[in-house]
Amino acid sequence: MADTETVVMGALRSMLRRKKDGSKAVTVDADLYGDLGLDSLDLAEFSAELEDELGSDPYSEGIVPRTVGEVIEFYGE
Amino acid sequence: MIELIRGANPDAPAVLSDSGVVSYGELTERAEALARGIHSRSLSRVACVITDPVTLIAVLAATSAVGCEACSYPPQLHDAGIDELAAAFGHTVVLTDRILDLANAKAIAIDDLPEEGGNLPRPEGAPLLVLTTGTTARPKAARHDWARLAVPARRRAKSSDERWLLAFNLNQFAGLQVLLHVLASQATLVVPASIQPRDALNAMLEYRVTHLSATPTFWRFLIALLDDGVSPVPELQQATLGGEAASARLLNEVRRLFPQANVSHVYASTEVGSGVSVGDGQQGLPLSVLERPADAEVHFRITDGQLEARSSVGMLGYYGDVENEDGWRATGDLVEVRDDRIVFVGRASETINVGGVKVHPLAIEDVVGTVYGVQLVRAYARANPISGQIVVVDVVASADSDKEAVEDAIRSACEILAPAAQPRRVRFVSELDLREHKIART
Repeated sequence: MADTETVVMGALRSMLRRKKDGSKAVTVDADLYGDLGLDSLDLAEFSAELEDELGSDPYSEGIVPRTVGEVIEFYGE
Repeated sequence: MIELIRGANPDAPAVLSDSGVVSYGELTERAEALARGIHSRSLSRVACVITDPVTLIAVLAATSAVGCEACSYPPQLHDAGIDELAAAFGHTVVLTDRILDLANAKAIAIDDLPEEGGNLPRPEGAPLLVLTTGTTARPKAARHDWARLAVPARRRAKSSDERWLLAFNLNQFAGLQVLLHVLASQATLVVPASIQPRDALNAMLEYRVTHLSATPTFWRFLIALLDDGVSPVPELQQATLGGEAASARLLNEVRRLFPQANVSHVYASTEVGSGVSVGDGQQGLPLSVLERPADAEVHFRITDGQLEARSSVGMLGYYGDVENEDGWRATGDLVEVRDDRIVFVGRASETINVGGVKVHPLAIEDVVGTVYGVQLVRAYARANPISGQIVVVDVVASADSDKEAVEDAIRSACEILAPAAQPRRVRFVSELDLREHKIART
């Protein structure tokens, strides 16, 4: 679990850093849209990174997580 | 083709390679002996699998002399691949300098062909079949005629002092163009040990090559080799880029390294033939190519963002296709008009659809290619559950570069692109798949 959490949060942090949004806090409760301000292309990138790093991603399975925690939960199932 | 060779000074050097000099006279003699062998066997269509370029030149000249339609396959192709092409293009005879074990065609050794004495017939036509490079798919075969192909070569023929490097294989249309230009000019073709940039550079220096025509990808490799500062820089008079779109940045790089050379880029293809040569140093084509006089060899128009061409020096048609009535053909090249230039934005077959927005790999590669530490780049689509596709770039980084820093630099350089066109994944690879010195796009 810890590994998954590290990967998910790391992916989000580096994406925010590149978007010059590095000051936004990536927490388990953070809302991907409202708090982190991700748009659909950011999500597309996020899903590709999850697939590369963790072998699968929620979006390809038809699941659309709202929060960081829900993304991590997907891998816990 | 044989007439170009026969018309030259027989003592002048036609081909220079590590195996020695072949004069125009020797080439004529060799081609005519082969032609007799082809004629006496009544061969009207042959495939050629010939590894030695000098032998292939003689065989091509021989087939043109007797009206036999030759089709040169990639010389290193394995037996199963040869069988597949032979079945696809109806070839029952393969002329070769290799040992082949074929199911679909009979292999005839080149060494068994030559015959002495006897007259040659004067054929009505001189057909030729040329395979497309096929960077995206299995090759097609374009039907050509040597006489049509020789028209632009004869018109552009210049000085017999020119020494051209053969930086293409002769099974490629671009290789045939270089060959025909050399023969029409009665100049000299320099054949390197291989068309790898290192061997090519060695041959350029050893044989004092004055003219080089090569793909942009090849030029990038050559520039990387020369930028090491170890090797002397060949004294080129002419630097030609063709076969892929040449970016303004690359044209500048070539000018920087070869300040004394005339730098041009050509728009030519297996289908269209030799279409345009642009010498003004800018990328893309001048808009004036759309307004050519009625008697021009090649006409262009733009339909729905795609360049179309009608050519009197191009192919007659694809093998197995019905004739094309009005002669206009889509080139597959997508273009935009910007400031009186026709700029290439990509191939129709390579368009990436990111959330309904169409983006083109070339524009992305141009931006990524400017980043310090990037040697080669290929942009392509990757399927994505959210946007349909995203842009991915494969990057060959220079050996001493810090990959994380290069990725950051790529990402920030790409901020000038529309969000949909920005690469969402950057993959570092040790090499890109290259086909005939073009970046393979699968």
